[in-house]
Amino acid sequence: MKLGPGTARVGVIILLLILWELGARLFGDPLFMSPPSDVVVSLVGLIGNGPVMRALQTTLYELVTAFLMAIVVGVPLGLVLGLQRFARGSFYPIVVMLYAIPQATILPLMILAFGIGPESKIAFGFTHSVFPIVIAVVAGVQDVKPTLLTCARSMGASRFQTFMNVILPHMIPSLFTGMRVAMTGDLLGVLLAELYVSQAGVGHYTRLFTESFQPAKLFALVAALAAIAVVLNELCRRAERRMSRWRA
Amino acid sequence: MKGARLGYRLVQVGFVAVLLLVWYWVGRDELVSPILLPPLPACWDEFLALLASGSYWPDLDVTLYELVVAFLIAASFGCAIGYVVSRSRFSIRVFDPLFAGLYSIPAILLFPLYVLFFGLGAGSKIAIGATIAFFPVVLNTIAGFDYVDRAYVTAARSMGASELQMFWSVMMPAAFPIVLAGLRVGFILAFLSILGSETIASLAGLGHRIVSYAESMDPAKMFAYIFFAILIAFLLNGGVSLIEARVKRGPG
Amino acid sequence: MSRGDAAISVAGVSQAFGPEGDPRRVVALESASLEVARGELMCLIGPSGCGKSTLLNVIGGLMTPTSGEVAIDGERMHGPLPKKVAFVFQESALFPWRTVLDNVKLGMAFQGVARAEREPRAMEALGAVGLADFAHHYPAQLSGGMKQRAQLARALGLKTDILLMDEPFAALDEQTRMVLGEDLSVLLARTGKTIVFVTHSLGEAVFLADRVAVFTARPGRIKTMITVEEGHPRSRSFMTSDKLARLRNELYELLHDEIRKTMGDTRP
Repeated sequence: MKLGPGTARVGVIILLLILWELGARLFGDPLFMSPPSDVVVSLVGLIGNGPVMRALQTTLYELVTAFLMAIVVGVPLGLVLGLQRFARGSFYPIVVMLYAIPQATILPLMILAFGIGPESKIAFGFTHSVFPIVIAVVAGVQDVKPTLLTCARSMGASRFQTFMNVILPHMIPSLFTGMRVAMTGDLLGVLLAELYVSQAGVGHYTRLFTESFQPAKLFALVAALAAIAVVLNELCRRAERRMSRWRA
Repeated sequence: MKGARLGYRLVQVGFVAVLLLVWYWVGRDELVSPILLPPLPACWDEFLALLASGSYWPDLDVTLYELVVAFLIAASFGCAIGYVVSRSRFSIRVFDPLFAGLYSIPAILLFPLYVLFFGLGAGSKIAIGATIAFFPVVLNTIAGFDYVDRAYVTAARSMGASELQMFWSVMMPAAFPIVLAGLRVGFILAFLSILGSETIASLAGLGHRIVSYAESMDPAKMFAYIFFAILIAFLLNGGVSLIEARVKRGPG
Repeated sequence: MSRGDAAISVAGVSQAFGPEGDPRRVVALESASLEVARGELMCLIGPSGCGKSTLLNVIGGLMTPTSGEVAIDGERMHGPLPKKVAFVFQESALFPWRTVLDNVKLGMAFQGVARAEREPRAMEALGAVGLADFAHHYPAQLSGGMKQRAQLARALGLKTDILLMDEPFAALDEQTRMVLGEDLSVLLARTGKTIVFVTHSLGEAVFLADRVAVFTARPGRIKTMITVEEGHPRSRSFMTSDKLARLRNELYELLHDEIRKTMGDTRP
């Protein structure tokens, strides 16, 4: 009987879950460790839990807002840098250098600046996701084959027409790749900020469940967040694939 | 285009100069709360004092210790598991998507679990650093050994190479650059995630030190440590690139 | 042929790249002069780097010559003249994110054709090159020959008097080249366009051209003009005729030394 890789993978996951279940039940200290069955029960319980659901909603709101802000700021900035040679030569290295700064070091500063509410989480998510977008847009604009630009010029295209009909469409696949990377950064930034300090967001509950030694609820909350992350990442990946069809 | 290059430099230098000037001016006239943005001279003095006094050592020690241990764990598990998986097409098809899929979950989510399990000490930081660094290493190791051309393997086998000879002389050199790249990414990610997790929940380390100065309302010292941490990041990045270049050039 | 008949008039055009006095300065073209009559197909042929593509770009207004001037229908060139001159490039300059039909229509949009006219003209142009059935395909779905035909359709849709073609068939296999060459000849006979065609292929030059301008190695000068007395449309039999073979050999004799020079070969 032939075993397909997909089936085998599912098998591996099930095996790991079983090991986890047995290990937790037989050896695990219930203060620190929780078997998957308990986690599932907690997960169901969490769904009915008003404040926790609101916290998850807030997190989602923070993620989406930061991401949209990154696009709104990043795309025009990227276009300017991509199109204007002097601006690019001067400021693009600065952008790259800023991107290289370990942002964890300025997290406390961000909180001091924006407070402990959603604003600081959005700000931190923004700073993590704006750079990949700028970089991707610049690349997409710079990448245009010179022949295409020459061709448009030969047919009498104005600068505006060239921008709208040649540069912009060419840049789209690159932009969506940048958005996929930006989403990863957004998740990292928002979650880091939440875990650092949170009044009514998910960070508050992770801290609560940790300090009150409720591993099942903690696992469940983490699982819920992981699910949100996977969905958002997958959306970005699909959008990227759809928009990059002509590239391949 | 030398003129343009000079022009860029001038703008960059000018930009940084303007920022510093604004900072100085804001600090002098107290236009922004000094808790948020302490005066530039104060920050600079604290930074120099920090470098001179060497009082960063205890925290730097902790962070570096966590980094090295986390990296060694990630590297050994990643390379070992990656190599084993790469041995058969089937296992690659089973595990590679699994690892790639897990990689897309922000691993920082595991940190609260590690804190629950290991506490606030170095253990939880090492755990998260190792977890996050594991993925680029294992994925690259799989890719690296998978990439080894069947032709080389067949040729070596036809010349009678033993498994060990095959490994050292054919597969390792071919897979090496890709595995090395994975190790580099893993190292950097380990450092960043350790820094981040020290910020969130820790008793020691560079990240923690920055938080403690933020909480004790000593912003000048906080900035000093921020500068310091950025400096360390810079040095580590540079060091890793240097090592990678040197190793690539060496007995290649 | 009096000046009034010339569709394209090139007088003493030189093109150099790089500032004067710079040792890296490249003189691509040196004092090239020629005239292309209305309805004529002129081929520019020469070794690599002899400036033939440069001259084409100058004629089309994409480049301003270092010295000399170009006149189209008696009027001096300052920049691209999209209403009079259309280009076909060697590399597929089709926009990959648009269908073939949209590509042809976009060319017209750039030129300034009224929206309502674009679709019928586009379909007509596609029909002329035999791609009417592929109007809604994307460039990535087409073969090399079809892509170049689509480019030609786009140029035809612009309804210009002059067509400038820069090695359009260079990336195609020989058989496709020959067939497309025949098609071009038929097109020329039917539309009476003035065509300047840059090529490396000796056979292609003789088969297509009314006159062939032979270039020297860099810095490119026009060495000589060869006339091909044969009416358009040219048939398959011309391709295999003695006349063509003779002219082809003549071209080879003229070019041989120039090619060697370009290769850095200074042997006698």
